[in-house]
Amino acid sequence: MSSTRNRLVTALLALWTVLVLMLLYVPILSVVLASLANTRYMRFPHKVWTLDAYRDALGQYTTAELHLTSLKIAVLVALIAVLLGVFGALAFARFEWRGRSLYQRLLLLPIFFPQAVLGLALLLAMTAAGIAPSWRTAVFAHLVWVVPIVTLVISIRLYGFDVAQEEAAFDLGASRLQVFREVTLPALAPGIVSGGLFAFLLSWSNLPLSIYTTGSDTTLPLWLFSRTATNYSPLVPALAVIATGASVLVVVAAALALAGWRRLVARRSA
Amino acid sequence: MRQRVSPGLLAMLPVMALILVGFALPILLVLLYSLMPPRTFSLAGEPTLANYWAAVTEGYLLPLGWSLLLAGLTTLLCLVLAWPTAKALVRFAGRFATLATILIALPIFISESVRLFGTALFMMPGGGIFAGSLNALFGLKIGSILYTRTATLLGMVYIHFPFMLFPMVLGLSLVPQDQIEAACDLGARPFQVFREIELPLALPGITVGTLLTFVLSLGANAEAAILGGQAVIVITKAIEQRFGYAQDWPSGAALTVLVILVTAAVIFPVLRRLDLDRLIRR
Repeated sequence: MSSTRNRLVTALLALWTVLVLMLLYVPILSVVLASLANTRYMRFPHKVWTLDAYRDALGQYTTAELHLTSLKIAVLVALIAVLLGVFGALAFARFEWRGRSLYQRLLLLPIFFPQAVLGLALLLAMTAAGIAPSWRTAVFAHLVWVVPIVTLVISIRLYGFDVAQEEAAFDLGASRLQVFREVTLPALAPGIVSGGLFAFLLSWSNLPLSIYTTGSDTTLPLWLFSRTATNYSPLVPALAVIATGASVLVVVAAALALAGWRRLVARRSA
Repeated sequence: MRQRVSPGLLAMLPVMALILVGFALPILLVLLYSLMPPRTFSLAGEPTLANYWAAVTEGYLLPLGWSLLLAGLTTLLCLVLAWPTAKALVRFAGRFATLATILIALPIFISESVRLFGTALFMMPGGGIFAGSLNALFGLKIGSILYTRTATLLGMVYIHFPFMLFPMVLGLSLVPQDQIEAACDLGARPFQVFREIELPLALPGITVGTLLTFVLSLGANAEAAILGGQAVIVITKAIEQRFGYAQDWPSGAALTVLVILVTAAVIFPVLRRLDLDRLIRR
């Protein structure tokens, strides 16, 4: 009896999960469907299904400009966040020191904070300090939120790191820098790569911080946000698909590069 | 030999500097501005509580109330929806769960504006994806909930669901399966297992998910802007109007401080007790 019940529960849970997954993708599918029209007003199902909007989007200067702005912000955020995150993670998970527990909690504060409110606070602070908001200040705003996340991601990797490896290298006469470069860093590499990807994607897709901190520069999410309310055309969903596709491309490229690099390292050490 | 500074202390310096300048300092500035006379732009004025008084008397507690209500409902709905999903992900540990986890996590990296825009396209009346399909397939004409508070709430649940789910999965995976089996063998009913074993052991994860969902949705404004139309003004929008359109920094700062106070009131008591090493270490 208990096993039939068990099987029923299992089946229901599986069904539920599939349902949740479907619901999560309905809006994304809707964007794709909407992009395949050529009318200014949404009239689904479309009379004509076409890729015209994509051709228009790809031919526009705005598309390139928006991607470029988002890209330079996201790349800078990823690079700086990883650099700071490695050290932040060492302090978080590797070293035992007085104040570590306090530091761990302080680090979490920007994550457990309404992003838009952080954006508004930063806007006020920047304006008061006479700094004009631009894509550069957006980089800084993203960092405040992304660096703690990247630090956590790398820390998770660090918890699984065997300290004895470092000690062994020291015993064999390696210098502090050598140990860091040849033992600690390679062990952290997967955490660094996923931390970097996290940073890139979170910055690329961020809306609540960008709204208040980019000034007159416009990122992709910002442009989409402003165009959903006014001036709709199939160009808007088409650009949303292109922007999302671009970020997928970056992730795939990074994954391939990592796989290639791993093979190279494996071959060299073999 | 001279006393060496602990390497942990050195390593945390860059991150702490960032948090000080980019987080603590802006909050301090907001706090100071909130005490300045209304409609002034310098910090040299005589400190006053006038902005807080104005926030209460001029109706700005209403947006804050809406944000609190929406955040509370979002958290509640996410809790109810995430629990069975988390149980499924933990129970089916293996290929199905991994695939499902990846599929649930992926949309986090698709911009909020894209996902909410999609929700609006789906909900749109007449020629929207849902209404249009129903009409074409079954000749059914239906109304729409787009531009209502309900739509705003659904959008908030949609966006914040993963933030509830993943910490919950983390917490649930800490519950040893043999303890549940032992309880079942001893004749515990499913509800007893839930209340006496799963809930207490998974509590750290559930707490983190609840906090994250509540705090993030407290500041949510894109949902109300894209799905809510003019139906509801959330606190972030109200602050934005004070800073921008009204050019009244101190008044906007006072509202911001109120949100920060609510956030701090829910975050600090929990954060103090949380054992991070245990929750994150695998």
